[in-house]
Amino acid sequence: MPPRLNLFTARAVPAFCQPSTAAARRSIATILNANRPSTSNGVKSGLSASAQMTKRWNSSGSDGKDKPEGFKGPTEDPLPHVSEEAAEVSKIMDKRCDGVASSPELEQGTPISEILQRDKNAQKHAPKVMQDQMKNQSGKRSFSTSARRMQPEVEGSANSDDASANFDDASANFDDASAALVADMVAQVNQQAAELHPGLKFEAPSKPLGKTDNFRSRYDGLLEQLTKQLMRHGKLSKAYKDMSFILDHLRTSPPPNRNPRRPLLPGPPNAQLPLNPILYLTLIIDSVAPLVKLRQQKGIAGGGASVQIPVPLALRQRRRTAIRWIIDASDKRRDSNFAMRVAQELVSVAEGRSGAWDRREMVHKLGVAGRSNLGYLTNRR
Amino acid sequence: MVSSFCWSCLTRLPTASPRPMLPPTLTAQRVAAFHTSSPLLALPPKKKAPGQQSGPKHRASTTFKMKKRKVTDRVRPPAIGERKALRKRIVLSNPNALEVADMQDISADNMVDSRLRGSILGLPVPMLDQLRAVQAFKPKQGWSIFRRPGTVTRRESLELGRLIDGISDKPEDKGKVVKRIVTGARGSGKTVHLLQAMSMAFTKEWVVVTVPECQDLVLANTSYAPLSDENPNVYVQNQATAALLSRTVTANQKVLSKLKVSREHPALKSPLKRDTTLEALANLGIQDPATAWPIFQALWTELTATSPAPGFEKDFASRPPMLVTVDGLAHWMKETKYRTAKYELIHAHDLVFVQHFLSLLKPGENQQSALPNGGVLLYATSASNNPGVYSLDVALKRVAARQNRVDPSSPDYPMPTAFSNPDERVLAAFDSPKSSIPTEGTLELQTIAGVSREEARGFMEYFARSGLLRQQVSEEWVNEKWTLAGGGVIGELEKLGRRLTVPAQV
Repeated sequence: MPPRLNLFTARAVPAFCQPSTAAARRSIATILNANRPSTSNGVKSGLSASAQMTKRWNSSGSDGKDKPEGFKGPTEDPLPHVSEEAAEVSKIMDKRCDGVASSPELEQGTPISEILQRDKNAQKHAPKVMQDQMKNQSGKRSFSTSARRMQPEVEGSANSDDASANFDDASANFDDASAALVADMVAQVNQQAAELHPGLKFEAPSKPLGKTDNFRSRYDGLLEQLTKQLMRHGKLSKAYKDMSFILDHLRTSPPPNRNPRRPLLPGPPNAQLPLNPILYLTLIIDSVAPLVKLRQQKGIAGGGASVQIPVPLALRQRRRTAIRWIIDASDKRRDSNFAMRVAQELVSVAEGRSGAWDRREMVHKLGVAGRSNLGYLTNRR
Repeated sequence: MVSSFCWSCLTRLPTASPRPMLPPTLTAQRVAAFHTSSPLLALPPKKKAPGQQSGPKHRASTTFKMKKRKVTDRVRPPAIGERKALRKRIVLSNPNALEVADMQDISADNMVDSRLRGSILGLPVPMLDQLRAVQAFKPKQGWSIFRRPGTVTRRESLELGRLIDGISDKPEDKGKVVKRIVTGARGSGKTVHLLQAMSMAFTKEWVVVTVPECQDLVLANTSYAPLSDENPNVYVQNQATAALLSRTVTANQKVLSKLKVSREHPALKSPLKRDTTLEALANLGIQDPATAWPIFQALWTELTATSPAPGFEKDFASRPPMLVTVDGLAHWMKETKYRTAKYELIHAHDLVFVQHFLSLLKPGENQQSALPNGGVLLYATSASNNPGVYSLDVALKRVAARQNRVDPSSPDYPMPTAFSNPDERVLAAFDSPKSSIPTEGTLELQTIAGVSREEARGFMEYFARSGLLRQQVSEEWVNEKWTLAGGGVIGELEKLGRRLTVPAQV
């Protein structure tokens, strides 16, 4: 027997407890389709509704609320279900408005098979599918509608009662055990899924990603810049080798004796510098990098004379200038190895001995002197 | 008053005095006749400002400049051998690096301790001179960034440690000879394996004889001469032999100074005194390289002696086991750069020096093993600067096959391909049959692969604890580097460890 679907009770409460004012909104036009239901006081009978309408019509629409709502399509307000109608009738008869059905039949609905059993006429007009089903009630289907339990096949269990009893016990135990096992597995997987982010096979990378986590920019920005400037004749891998030589030289050379007149930027103490060669290199280059460059500009002072205008530099430009100075200064060294020359020059910059410092001081001096020329730039406009 | 000048031409009008009509100035100044003004009356031309005078004219090109001849003071070229010394310089210490706190030195106890697998064992400072003397270190092995040299204790080194320990101390292994050819990929640690063997041998007070670079003997850089009139086709290299004696004496001075000669050496020109130490014997060859080869032979005879000759019993002490290492074996498997008198290339196997060391791979003669007092032979190939010698490849495959008990008559036994024209002398050099002496092992092939992940982790932690690696050494990070290093090739791991990828936090 098919399960009794309880469609009805879910809808019952709002349907029954509608206020009666809703009935007043029914239009005159609804009379035109006389078979259409109207929800007046919950009573749904075509006849009674039409009678009521007639009455209203005769009473000339006393409260003016009988405005037409517009034409309704045939499918918009269909007839209620048979059982629904019965429920409403019983509702009126029993004077209950709490949605509790008066009979179990009303609550659970009536299976169609039962209706068909007792109603010959309905049997005759039943759909063909149902008639076929009633004719050959063999109980066999070409397909199975029940799920098969997962249980081991036990041979000979059907032969003896003991065996079948044992089998029942065993299968019950097995079911418990396997259910526990599955529950365990599910819990474990859920826990793992909760630990990971959803949709990830492996652990998510910690964010934000480091600057050098991408393999295309795996080295520090200054290292890249210096390497590219060390490159001669387009030989980048040679430049990389030179760069690693320079870093190793910074690692292994003794800590610099700093010159107080030409200090490096603030950083860790001297003894710690060689163990962090990138920081060491950054300090060296940033310390000697100029803040401005001088631009020779003609014509702003009048008379065709060119004046020097100090122009501020961005960080990358400052570093580039410093690297160029250091490489230029290293050309005067005697060592035949280019990387060695640059490495020694870097150390001498850290110790305040390099010619790069002189160039920086000169540029800054001229830059300070050239500040007065900045007035020309503003006056020109 | 009327001016005496004409207004139109500004010449002086003729006065009342009789004068010629044409002004004399016109003819005196050589100018065009139609010019009506007097150039004399013009103002003198202004001098130009000095700055503008020298500069380029308007819109003239400013780019061309005469190049100044650069006055370059000629730098004196570096002294002879200076650049090579710089190239071959070996720096074993970086005082900036941190001292690793609980790093142990290699010793007789911990060289067999398998618990130390994956850790770094330092080389003791007194031993460094010995190791430098036998040229165990190579220039580009990356010793220079650590506080002091140390090596990874890996599976192969522990196994070697047990071997050396057994030969020295265990009575059942006494006199055992292990002959190995060490191969492996580039950077897999073959030379460092030899170095570890040397350090273990020095701790056990063995005699260590090394050929650090085979190529030096075949490059025609050292002098050579026919050995004698009797066998003119064999050549001796006296300087190289003297260098070998020098290495051996310096490294093993402590051992050799205790041992005395045990027999007469008739091959030597001057007879030796009875109480000559082996150190003094070797020094004879160093002082006079012309006698270096007979002296080396005498020294070898003394080191492999098991018993004294009659009359020498008094001062005889038993000889220690020996470690013989050769690095870069492939250079000895082809023709050298030396020439015969007929200007034909000399095969490396015709050099008596090479012959001696290759003959050790064969079973010993006279019912004795190749090293009668026991010891280890480690001959390593090289993967960088390596000549391709097909016959050597086949020969090494044959060694491996024999090690796997493949019968030489079976079809699985590696054969050179047809028409490849293999060098029979090379094949024969490694074709050593099983020795009749039980203590003498057959020739083995040991292939060194990458280190395991645990060993790689120990190595990376060593970088971090030396202050050179500023990164958290996690399991995941080590695995990544292990994979990047071709499955733990330790030379590649070393490169990755010293590479700086972390930006500076200022």
